[in-house]
Amino acid sequence: MSHRIDILGLGLAAPGLRDRASLQAALAGRPLETNDKPSTSSLLSPRERRRAPAAVKLSFPAAEQACAMAGLEPGEPLAIFSSGMGDLDITDYMCRTLAEAPELLSPTRFHNSVHNAASGYWSIGAGATGDVTALSAWRDSAALGLLEGMTRCLTDARPVLVVVYDDRAVGPMRDLWPSEHAFCAALVLAPAGHGGAIATLQIDACREAARHPALPEALEARIEDNPAARLLPVLALIEGAIDGEVVLAAERGPSLRVRRSA
Amino acid sequence: MNSDLFVSAMTLCAAPGAGLDVLRRALAERRSGLRPNDFAPCTLNTWIGRVEGVEDTELPSELRGFDCRNNRLAELGLRGDDFIERVEILKSRLGAERIACVTGTSTAGIGSTEAAYRAMGQGEHFDPSFLLPRVHTPHTSSAYVAQRLGLNGPVMTISTACSSSAKVFAAAARLIEAGLADAAVVGGVDSLCQSVLYGFHSLELVSEHPCRPFDRDRDGLSLGEAAGFAILERQPEQAFGRLAGWGESSDAHHMASPHPEGTGAVAAMREALDRAGLDPEAIGYINCHGTATPMNDQVEARAIRQVFETPPPAASTKGWTGHTLGAAGIVEAVFSLLALNDARLPAGLNIEQPEDAWADFILTEARDVRVDHVLSNSFGFGGSNCSLIFARS
Repeated sequence: MSHRIDILGLGLAAPGLRDRASLQAALAGRPLETNDKPSTSSLLSPRERRRAPAAVKLSFPAAEQACAMAGLEPGEPLAIFSSGMGDLDITDYMCRTLAEAPELLSPTRFHNSVHNAASGYWSIGAGATGDVTALSAWRDSAALGLLEGMTRCLTDARPVLVVVYDDRAVGPMRDLWPSEHAFCAALVLAPAGHGGAIATLQIDACREAARHPALPEALEARIEDNPAARLLPVLALIEGAIDGEVVLAAERGPSLRVRRSA
Repeated sequence: MNSDLFVSAMTLCAAPGAGLDVLRRALAERRSGLRPNDFAPCTLNTWIGRVEGVEDTELPSELRGFDCRNNRLAELGLRGDDFIERVEILKSRLGAERIACVTGTSTAGIGSTEAAYRAMGQGEHFDPSFLLPRVHTPHTSSAYVAQRLGLNGPVMTISTACSSSAKVFAAAARLIEAGLADAAVVGGVDSLCQSVLYGFHSLELVSEHPCRPFDRDRDGLSLGEAAGFAILERQPEQAFGRLAGWGESSDAHHMASPHPEGTGAVAAMREALDRAGLDPEAIGYINCHGTATPMNDQVEARAIRQVFETPPPAASTKGWTGHTLGAAGIVEAVFSLLALNDARLPAGLNIEQPEDAWADFILTEARDVRVDHVLSNSFGFGGSNCSLIFARS
C-alpha cells in the first residue's frame, strides 16, 4: 500500500542544526557550527523559556518553525510528539531526589516528568485543543512518529505536526543513552493535494532493513549518535539533497520506504 | 469492507486480582483491592492498589533483558483469561505481521531506574546489573508484549499520562483503517513506583484513606497498578462489544489541573458521540475517570452535565483498583465492557456521603439493567482527554 503525503513545513533544533538554513548548509557539506546559539521558542515568554523543562526547550523551536513554514497557526494541526526517552534531565532529577530525600520532590518537576510534558506544554502554548499526543518507541521513535503521522493524515484528512526528539542524557543515564547531541526535527504532513507543499513523499510500509543514500559525514555522525536523528535522511529527501529511497526501519514491525514523489 | 472493530478478547489484572472472573466477584461482593501502603521503600501514610504476586512472576528466560516490575505485571496480566491462546489463534488466522501492538503507560520501568539510583549511592555510574536499556524507556511494555506474543505489526507506546491506555483504542483503530494492520492487541501497563507515590504526595493529591470518588469527603487519590489487554479486530465470532466511537482532545490549560469548565472533557465526549453517530440519550452508563480528588470529580461531573441533559448512571473504578495512571484507560474500558456484557452497571465504592445535586447520577449501588452503549472517560496530566464508546455487539 502506497501513500502520497505532502510536506508543508519542517523545522529543526540541534547543535549546529538550528533551522532549515543550517540543515541545507550541512546537506551541502559544510561543517556544523556547534557553537551556535540554541534555537528559541517564540511561543514562550522569556520567563517561561527559562523555567520550561528541557524537552519543551528542545522541541518547541522545531515545531514552531515547521508550523510557520506550513503557514499554519501552531494550534491548528493535530500534533504527535515522539521520543524514545522523554525528558532525561527530569528523569535524572526525579531518581536522584527519590534516592536521597523523596519528601523533597518538587511538585512542578513531578508534573513535568510525564512523557507528555512537551506535548502538554505545546497544547497550552499553541492553544491546541485538538488531539496532541505523545509516543515512545525507544530507538524507533522517528519511524513510529512518522508512521503515526501518516496514519493520522490518512484517517483524519487534515494537517498533522510530527515532532521527533531526544535529548542528550545527564548523569548515570548516559550509560543507557550515550547520545552526545540533542536532536529534534518537526514536520507538518498533510494529505496529498493540500497545496503549498515543499515536497510530496511517497511512503510505503515494507519489510526491508534500514538504509539511505549517504549523507555528509557530520550528518551521518548525528544519525549514529541520537536515534531521533534517523529522521535526517527523510529531511534530506524533502530538501532534494539526495535521490532514491530512504528506509526507516523499526526493531519489530513494518519499515517505511520513503521516496520523493514527482 | 466492514470497518467496524470489535473487542474479541480482554483481560485485566489489578488490585482486586487477576482475570475477569475475579473482577466480577469483587464487583459482586463490593470488595476493594486497596490496602494500607506496604510498597517498600515508600513510607507514606496512604492506601494503594498493589497487585499480589508481581514480585514472584518470572518472565520467559529469553526475555530476561526486560525484567522489571512493570513487565512482570504485564506478564501476569497476559496470562489471564486465555489471552495468550486467543492471540495465538488470531496470529494463525491473520499472520503476526498484520497485528499491531499499542499499549499505554505513564511510569513504565522507572521503578528500576529509581532502584539503580538508590544502589548507586554517591557514584556516577549504574551498577552493571542495573544496565537494562530495554527497561528504562517508556516503550518497555509495548516492546515486551509484542515480543512475548510474537506480534510483528506496528509496535508503539502512547504515554499521555492517565489517558494513555484509552487512546490506544483510537490509535489501533487508525492503524487498521489506514491498512497498516488487520487487528491489534491494545492495553495498558503501569506499576507502582516511588516517582508517582512521592510525586502525587508532593502535589498534595494523595489521600490517607481508601479513595472515595464522588463522596462529599473525598480528599485525594489512592495510587494503584494494573495490566490489561484487549484484542481489537473486525468480524470476530464473538465479542465483548464494538468500539463505536472515540474522542481525543486537549485542555490547552494547565499541566496538572483540568480546565475548570471541563472544556477538553466535553470536547472528547462530544467527538466520541459524533463518531459513533449517537445522541447523548443513547448512552446507558458512564464509566467516569473519577480520581477522587476534590476538583477532578467536580469538573468531570460538570462536563458530563454539559453533554448530557440528564446524565445516565455512572461510577468510577478507583475504589476497586486505585488510580492506575497509564493503565487507567484499559481498566475503565474493561469495567465498561463488563457492564455492557453482564447487564450490571457497577456502582462507586466508598461513597458514604453522596454528593446531592451535581453528582446525583453517580451510582452507590449496582444496577441490573441492560444497556446498549457505554461511555468511558480517561483524562490526564497535560490536559490530555480521551472518551471511548462501546456498543453491545
